[in-house]
Amino acid sequence: MLEITGLSAGYEGNDVIQDASFRVDSGEAVMIIGSNGAGKTTLFRSVVGLLAPSLGAVRYEGTDITGVPAQRIVRRGISFVPAERRLFPRMTVRENLALGAYPGRPDPKTMELVMDLFPRLAERQRQRAGTMSGGEQQMLAVGRALMADPSLIVLDEPTTGLAPKLAADAYEALGALRDRGLTVLVAEQQVPLAMALCDRGYVLDNGRISTQGTSAELANDPDVRRAYLGIT
Amino acid sequence: MIANILDGIIFGIQLGLWAAGLTLIYGLGGVLNLAHGQIAVISAMVLAFAMDAGLPALPASGLALLVGGLVGLFLDLTILRPVYRLQGEARVLLSLLLTLGFAFIVDGFLNWRYPGRALSLFIGGGAIDILGVPMRRGSLLASAITLVAFAALFSFFRFTTLGRAVRSVIEDEEGARLVGIDPARIMRLILVLSGVLAALVAVTRSMVVSVDVQAGFGITVLALIVTVVGGLGSVSGALLAGIILGIVNVIAADVIGTFMSLVVLLLAAAVTILIRPAGLLGVEE
Ligand SMILES: Nc1ncnc2c1ncn2[C@@H]1O[C@H](COP(=O)(O)OP(=O)(O)OP(=O)(O)O)[C@@H](O)[C@H]1O
Ligand SMILES: [Mg+2]
Repeated sequence: MLEITGLSAGYEGNDVIQDASFRVDSGEAVMIIGSNGAGKTTLFRSVVGLLAPSLGAVRYEGTDITGVPAQRIVRRGISFVPAERRLFPRMTVRENLALGAYPGRPDPKTMELVMDLFPRLAERQRQRAGTMSGGEQQMLAVGRALMADPSLIVLDEPTTGLAPKLAADAYEALGALRDRGLTVLVAEQQVPLAMALCDRGYVLDNGRISTQGTSAELANDPDVRRAYLGIT
Repeated sequence: MIANILDGIIFGIQLGLWAAGLTLIYGLGGVLNLAHGQIAVISAMVLAFAMDAGLPALPASGLALLVGGLVGLFLDLTILRPVYRLQGEARVLLSLLLTLGFAFIVDGFLNWRYPGRALSLFIGGGAIDILGVPMRRGSLLASAITLVAFAALFSFFRFTTLGRAVRSVIEDEEGARLVGIDPARIMRLILVLSGVLAALVAVTRSMVVSVDVQAGFGITVLALIVTVVGGLGSVSGALLAGIILGIVNVIAADVIGTFMSLVVLLLAAAVTILIRPAGLLGVEE
């Protein structure tokens, strides 16, 4: 479904990501794990068209989408949920969701799905996004991304700023989406949560992909255990 | 006193319209269009010549609005291209320089070709009493048209998908891109819209006083003051600030003298910024 080959990307000529290759197949949940500053955000931004890669290719469902701007990539079926959420703070929950379906009108079925998944959003449709709690904003960000009816949802650290209980809830929602057939690609530092959701994963280390494997394989990898699971 | 306040409100509604186009462009893309007033003047001249050529006022006004929109589109397609490539402060500065250059060219050309030329749309009929104050029909009609334009703008932003898309770019450009909105296309749309609004300034203003070839910079300066007081990017802020400053202006002119009223307006703007840096309805970053 999504295939990244030899991707390099960075800022002002300095490549932060070097020669990264990975793939996500339809129906899978895949994680990219890495510590602060490893380059997860840079990698995702260059996949979803917010940053032009300096080298390499991004292919989605057989077509080359390298360098296609974000506003066009979302129309092809990839929705991105950035760590900063990027909601429209002065608009209501409902307006934020409606814009997720841009340029169309929001599809009532999709709206219902989002409301079922996040009953809190249903209760707070008229509240302004900027006045909601961090957890609610995260739900809204995912909900808005779903309104575009994507086939692949890409999330950058969806647990940023969330208390453990809320982080677990966020992953529960992702599990539900995945069970409905949505393909998930997620960057995470809270590795146990991501491992429980994902089939496979890649370890991003200083801008390079150092290890890959199924979640079980990664859970047994001594380096991963030490660096990300706090087990020695 | 009531007469002053009524006059102030009427002028203030106008001021709000002057600022609406300017504030939208700035809020959307950090672009300052110092040729705003010149777009109004170009439209005024088109309207004057169209009526000279025998076109009735209504279709001639429609033509003026069309030309205003086209000038906005022209700016977007030409001198603003390099501006869009820059970010932040550099973008504001370059837009300021380039639009100022365009404004000088327009001013120079019009003053050379059509010196002293002015547009006035005479609205006949006697005065109408409002709260015991006789008001000119031209002023009332201009205010009514302007208020309808504001109502249309507000509905556009509130109820249409495209209007929400414009707001979303003002609130979070990257968020807008992530839902599939192309900020460059929204910017083009708003430049056309602000051109149309500038033309509407010419049409309505000329119902009250004559708009001559030199009116451009005066319009831009007042529009800038109102934009700053109202809050960059806020159309409702522009209307509110316009009405407040309109009243301040008329009272200052009455109490101190017309020559000082612009100074008083600048003072009012300075005080607003000291108390609320983001303007009346602007949002703190
Ligand atoms: N806009 C930018 N300009 C220059 N350098 C940047 C920029 N954004 C990130 N970097 C640098 O790129 C490197 C990778 O950052 P990135 O944000 O991709 O890491 P990350 O894995 O997402 O980290 P975190 O877990 O803290 O979000 C860092 O060294 C960072 O300083
Ligand atoms: Mg990050």
